[in-house]
Amino acid sequence: MTFPIVSVTLFLPLLGAALLLLMRGSPPRVAHGVGIAFSGLTLLGALWMWARGVPTGEVGFSQVEEIPWIPSIGAAYRVGVDGVSLPLVLMTAVLFFVSLVFSAHVRERAGSYVALFLLLETACLGSFVALDMILFYVFFEVTLVGMYFIIAGWGYEGRQRAALTFFLYTLLGSLPLLLAILALYLGSEPNTFDVREIVAAPPLTGLAAMLALIAMLVTFFVKTPLFPVHTWLPLAHTEAPTAGSVILAGVLLKLGTYGLVRFALQMTPDAFRAAAPYVAALAVFSALYGAFVALGQTDLKRLVAYTSVNHMGYVVLGVAVAAAATDAGTRALALDGAVLQMVSHGVVTGALFLLVGMLQDRAHTREMREFGGLLRLVPVLGWFFVLAAFASLGLPGLAHFAAEFQIFLGTLAVYPVAAVVVLGIAVTAGLYLRAIQVAFLGKPSEDRVGMKDLGRRELLAVVPLLVLTVLLGVAPFLVLETVHATTRVLLP
Amino acid sequence: MISLLQGMEGTQDMGGGMQMGRDLALLAPEIAVLLTAVGALVLEMLRLPRAALPFTVIGLLVATGLAIPLLGTETTLFMDTFRIDALSTWAKLVLLPVTALCAVLSYGEVKDTDREGTVYALLSLTALGALALAGAGDVMFLVLGVLLSSLGSFALVAYPRDDHSTEAAMKYLVFGSVTSAVMIFGLTFWFGATGSTLLAELVALEGAPLAAAAGLVAVLVGLGYKASVAPFHFWAPDAYDGAPVSVAAFLSIVPKVGAIFALAQVVRDLPQGAAGWPLVVAGLAALSMTYGNLAALVQENVVRLLAYSSIAQSGYFLLGVVAFGGSDLAVPSLVVFAAAYAAMNLGAFAIVVLVGRDLRDFVGLGRARPVAGAAMVVFLISLVGVPPLAGFIGKLLLFGAAIEAGFVWLAVVAILNSVLSLAVYLRVVVPMYGVPKEAPARSRTATVVWTIALVATVAVGLAAQVLLGSVA
Repeated sequence: MTFPIVSVTLFLPLLGAALLLLMRGSPPRVAHGVGIAFSGLTLLGALWMWARGVPTGEVGFSQVEEIPWIPSIGAAYRVGVDGVSLPLVLMTAVLFFVSLVFSAHVRERAGSYVALFLLLETACLGSFVALDMILFYVFFEVTLVGMYFIIAGWGYEGRQRAALTFFLYTLLGSLPLLLAILALYLGSEPNTFDVREIVAAPPLTGLAAMLALIAMLVTFFVKTPLFPVHTWLPLAHTEAPTAGSVILAGVLLKLGTYGLVRFALQMTPDAFRAAAPYVAALAVFSALYGAFVALGQTDLKRLVAYTSVNHMGYVVLGVAVAAAATDAGTRALALDGAVLQMVSHGVVTGALFLLVGMLQDRAHTREMREFGGLLRLVPVLGWFFVLAAFASLGLPGLAHFAAEFQIFLGTLAVYPVAAVVVLGIAVTAGLYLRAIQVAFLGKPSEDRVGMKDLGRRELLAVVPLLVLTVLLGVAPFLVLETVHATTRVLLP
Repeated sequence: MISLLQGMEGTQDMGGGMQMGRDLALLAPEIAVLLTAVGALVLEMLRLPRAALPFTVIGLLVATGLAIPLLGTETTLFMDTFRIDALSTWAKLVLLPVTALCAVLSYGEVKDTDREGTVYALLSLTALGALALAGAGDVMFLVLGVLLSSLGSFALVAYPRDDHSTEAAMKYLVFGSVTSAVMIFGLTFWFGATGSTLLAELVALEGAPLAAAAGLVAVLVGLGYKASVAPFHFWAPDAYDGAPVSVAAFLSIVPKVGAIFALAQVVRDLPQGAAGWPLVVAGLAALSMTYGNLAALVQENVVRLLAYSSIAQSGYFLLGVVAFGGSDLAVPSLVVFAAAYAAMNLGAFAIVVLVGRDLRDFVGLGRARPVAGAAMVVFLISLVGVPPLAGFIGKLLLFGAAIEAGFVWLAVVAILNSVLSLAVYLRVVVPMYGVPKEAPARSRTATVVWTIALVATVAVGLAAQVLLGSVA
């Protein structure tokens, strides 16, 4: 038997959280030390999984670990990865590590704070590696609980309302998935919750498949989020603590698009093909909508939050194109783009939220008009923001470019009309340039003089993400090799 | 009143025993419960109330132990009038420990009062009534179970003897008497149509829709009242609020689960779709869930909030009842949800014993007493059905059973209600992390109870196979 690295990686953060519960009352330094140590070990575990990789051109999952759980109903603890989930696992481990590094300045109830983040890390990793529908659902829901308490406990002024909205909204969103899972379970013969079996032989056809698909789309669209069910996102982001925003945008949103691929696309492929034009249309609209609304924001955090709606719209478009594509090449192209876009968005938006959070820590405002000349005041922070913003608007050579290029290429082949979505890039370019002009260029305002540039902790948190941003831009094949191994055989 | 009931139950036992020695052995858990109740009363009469609690707890645990060998046994006693099956055995395994824990919980509230020991005796007797319901194979057992558990409950609610509890007990008594009378009256139609009081003979109702409908209404009224299913729930919030909190915890679990299981015993023998029972029960389920959650949304008193929440949870239970006739998951889902509900609801009430009835008492609990606060969060989100806790696996099976039986719309209603219920329970959770006042006084008994409930809530969620393995 090989070393069960997937399970070890999955439960290391939970172990850390349990340890913190036992060490209640220990000083914040110790709590943060435990958090950084355990998320660091988890990152090493994820790197080990990455080194093992996924076999090329084989259908299905690798590094599978399985233990019976509720055999009476065909549920088991099954975990494993493929080319779609493995990059997301690595991205998750990186984002949690830098979030905990960044959070080391939190003094208020630090033990609970770190424990919640570690719990959330296990839940997020679990959602990506689960190969059992019940197990997936368990982890999927636990992420809600963890994020609720993080927002409610350490957010800004309106945190209670934001946390409540977030929890109710996304719970309402996630319950249809439970119905779909039950329908897939009852439709399979013999009844099973095993993702591999359901994917290998999608059990539902006709109307049942369409209804299950609709239920799944509701769940994953809320999570992604797509217009018109995105309204929880700006509220949650404005009130969440910085590291919470990083995880929310960087990881939790990916659960939606990952579920779209793993569940909606793979488990009800024919229904998805039929619905693909509508999904694509909604995705295009959502991407443009996100970009235009972001254009109207003057709060930097809300601005970044709405660009997430834009970027995630591209991901959904890629998945819809893959569902509709008839030739394997186009399909793989669109899916490659979608997965790479998920990873890029995690890294770039993570960096942007960290930088906005650092600004807020200094100035206690995120209103871009209240800044000015930041490039002169805090050159490191300023140039980092410029770099991340350029990546976010899709500049070639930085993370998003390769991903969006592939998605648009696939879109042109399947839905030429949908190429209007490229307009979104122009709009995001405009809004970032405006933000840079207002807040970072020009003359520094009087009362901001004396603002400190990035400290060691902040550099440690944000530099890895910026390095990855450049790396993904100049060498996207590092990730695409793994992704492509799976996407070219994802659908029969 | 009590001695009369003992007489009734005693006759039943002896009557069966004389026919078949085997029956008495299979009835060992019930007999142990009866002896426990009697013993507790005797200790009370000997003015040894301190001994009554340990005696009751040990007696109930012995009864639980006696029920374990019955797992997997499917048989009937006393000429098919009483059933030993998964439902009745799991009712013992779940409800008897809950009764013991409620007795422990009540110790903090009733110690050093007059007639302390009678509380423990009444708890045992009421539990016995619930067990009679859960294994009913005959309408007479339904009636017996409802009466036995009601009489004990009335007295328990009235125990504090202040205005509040006396009024609550009066309401409960009047409501219970009327519904019981309706039930007995309606059941005579079934007896008239089938010529038998046995549930197994209900197949003869095929082709007698009016009689089937009249009896069904009667059973739904009688058992619906016991299980506090809307619209037969009116007594519950008042009774729970008037009674000691530990008694409210007991009433919200033990008679309710007994009545739901009794309803399951009835519908499994009804002819396929007689009098449209699946639809009627599904309608009650939807009503009970929705009404319970909506009413809970506006409560300022946590006991009343939990009372309405328990009305909503009855609605979920009914999903499992609806599924009889269409799904193999019906029995497993009821058993698992009963265990889950017992654990999480008992835990939530135990925290209320610790903290107080008013929503304002919960302000800052999570900071003043972090572990108890976290436990309350676990109980409440388990009631919502958040995985991997007990409530999730129970609801998962219930939803699956309902969908398999063709009631997708009911599963959808249940899911919408889960969101509504989250809003209800967050009303307790949110203030818990506000600015703390002083920490509530510590209570050893409440701590013991919520700790056990916490372990059970997590364990049922993670190890549901232990329950399912013995059912399926």
